Amino acid sequence: MVGKLRIGVAVKHGVDVSLTRADRASGLVQLSSAPRKTSDFDKNAVEEAVRIREKHGGTVTAISVGGPSAKEALRESVAIGADESVLVTADGWAEWDTRAVARLLAAATRTLGGFDLFLVGDGSTDHFAGVIGPRLAAELGVADIAGARRITIEPEALVAEKDLEREIEVVRARYPVVVSVGQEINTPRVPTFMANLKASKKEPKVLGLADLGVTAETLAPAIVIEKVAVPEIPRKQVTVTGASPDEVAQRLRDALRTEGVLP
Amino acid sequence: MSGEVVLCYSEEPELALDLVRLARHATPADGSRVHAAVLPGAPADAGERLGKAGAHVVHTVAGTAHTDPHATAETLKMLVSAVSPTLLLVASTKRGREVAGRLAGALDLPAATGVTAVRVEPDGVRVEREALSGNAVAVERLVRRPAVVAILPGTTAPSISDGAAAEQKAHTAPTTAPLTERTEVRPKAGGQLEIEKADRVVTIGRGLKKKEDLALIESLATALKAEVGCTRPLAAEAGWLTDDHWIGLTGHRVHPKLYVAVGVSGAVQHLVGMRSSKLVVAINKDPNAPIFAQADYRIVGDLYQIVPALTKALAG
Ligand SMILES: Cc1cc2nc3c(=O)[nH]c(=O)nc-3n(C[C@H](O)[C@H](O)[C@H](O)COP(=O)(O)OP(=O)(O)OC[C@H]3O[C@@H](n4cnc5c(N)ncnc54)[C@H](O)[C@@H]3O)c2cc1C
Ligand SMILES: Nc1ncnc2c1ncn2[C@@H]1O[C@H](COP(=O)(O)O)[C@@H](O)[C@H]1O
Repeated sequence: MVGKLRIGVAVKHGVDVSLTRADRASGLVQLSSAPRKTSDFDKNAVEEAVRIREKHGGTVTAISVGGPSAKEALRESVAIGADESVLVTADGWAEWDTRAVARLLAAATRTLGGFDLFLVGDGSTDHFAGVIGPRLAAELGVADIAGARRITIEPEALVAEKDLEREIEVVRARYPVVVSVGQEINTPRVPTFMANLKASKKEPKVLGLADLGVTAETLAPAIVIEKVAVPEIPRKQVTVTGASPDEVAQRLRDALRTEGVLP
Repeated sequence: MSGEVVLCYSEEPELALDLVRLARHATPADGSRVHAAVLPGAPADAGERLGKAGAHVVHTVAGTAHTDPHATAETLKMLVSAVSPTLLLVASTKRGREVAGRLAGALDLPAATGVTAVRVEPDGVRVEREALSGNAVAVERLVRRPAVVAILPGTTAPSISDGAAAEQKAHTAPTTAPLTERTEVRPKAGGQLEIEKADRVVTIGRGLKKKEDLALIESLATALKAEVGCTRPLAAEAGWLTDDHWIGLTGHRVHPKLYVAVGVSGAVQHLVGMRSSKLVVAINKDPNAPIFAQADYRIVGDLYQIVPALTKALAG
């Protein structure tokens, strides 16, 4: 039986995909200068952690790996209800790939004394790889459950409903366990004005590589992003108009017939 | 450089065949070897079909079916050390991504998911993958070997087969204490529809005012011999349609000849699910809706007027 749960939550301050713009001529996206925001599912992860604490007691620690702007994701996590926040950072953070991020989260987990439950998003808004949770669990040698839609806390084990393409699995794991959650698990609360104000006064604890006992060499990229571009899909962009809905409909039907796509 | 070795595995037998075909194209024709893994619980003809799809070697592992991603990763680890691949291909299904992450974490390897193209090159394994929630394509190079690459379902390649029978190898699954226990499996509500295979899709979004009005959309779909798709809010929030209709980043990806988007705004997370449609029609009352930028034929108007008129026109 675990005592009060120590819960860690990974939050990423990622690229805001709805605001990224590609260079018109080349189609290339400049990621380094793109606007950032807290990754969507990570807010669900923080909300779930806070709900578990509210019901069962314990502590919630939000951890972000990144540069100074990641403090915003941590501030938001505290506003939702995290008890404390930790920024893992160093020069060169922009080069860290998913392997490095998972290693740093594992190192931070060890440095902070371990968590019974570690929640991550099932995919980050910008990268949407869905590998950090299982990677982290493998690094720590513990169980992982990806795609959790519902979590139930029992004294000895965590039970989750796992969302697969065409099935739901009910899965049990003893603590410690890493659980990846999607958007369907809850609706994150909108922090009150007071909660936001309080959160902005709370500085995150900052951990550098030396604090974690990690050397920069072990974080050397295993994945090099060579370019990111928005693919150009040519579309005809024909606006179908007419004097009445019936006329519009007939014109569209004729066009589709000519295209050869009607049954 | 002599040939490369690729190891392919998917829990979905059909996707495993696609992986083998892709592996043949991803490596130099000369001297490369494609290995396929058949894990406990696979259909009896899995090995034979993988051979026909172009695998040079089929590894069949005996044991009880794995339900724990850790157990699957441990069995694959055993095969990785047996064949020393440069590339490990899995399918980018929910289970596949989890196994890819676990295995990459355990062996300290780079992993890329959501991959739509892969090639083994002298300076690493180069992939194209969906990035920015499917808004963009990233070209990434995985520099440690083996690279773990999860291929997006629907990514296919023509078969290359030498006609020679695949070499068969038998293994026994390592004894791995499972870290998770599966206590129940239930099919999702609906769940029968395979919308990713549909030739025509009519997708409805939040432009629909109430559940009863779905009848309008169903009539149009019937007239077009199309399947009904929907955006996330209609499945995940309203629950008007089951998850098997849901199209997009967190739903299904479709590749139809005709895609008709009705009352759909065209958020990036939706567009990624329909981008490979051949011909796109959008019906929306807002002339500035982003979906129009992705459309071949655009109708600016009220779906409650246009949809019945279109159903009638198609019947006439
Ligand atoms: C991480 C993440 C993952 C996501 N995954 C998915 C996903 O897989 N699939 C998905 O679809 N979404 C997904 N979303 C949600 C997505 O961002 C959008 O919120 C969603 O696609 C919007 O759905 P919609 O177009 O139906 O609704 P809205 O954006 O509300 O658009 C409704 C449209 O209907 C039009 N309309 C209204 N009334 C009428 C009328 N009478 N006649 C004609 N037009 C009308 C409006 O002009 C509007 O354009 C995801 C979001 C996140 C953050
Ligand atoms: N830089 C980061 N800092 C903290 N958590 C992260 C970071 N990158 C990814 N994560 C976590 O891992 C999850 C999955 O990310 P990804 O594997 O990139 O899809 C995210 O939803 C976060 O919870």
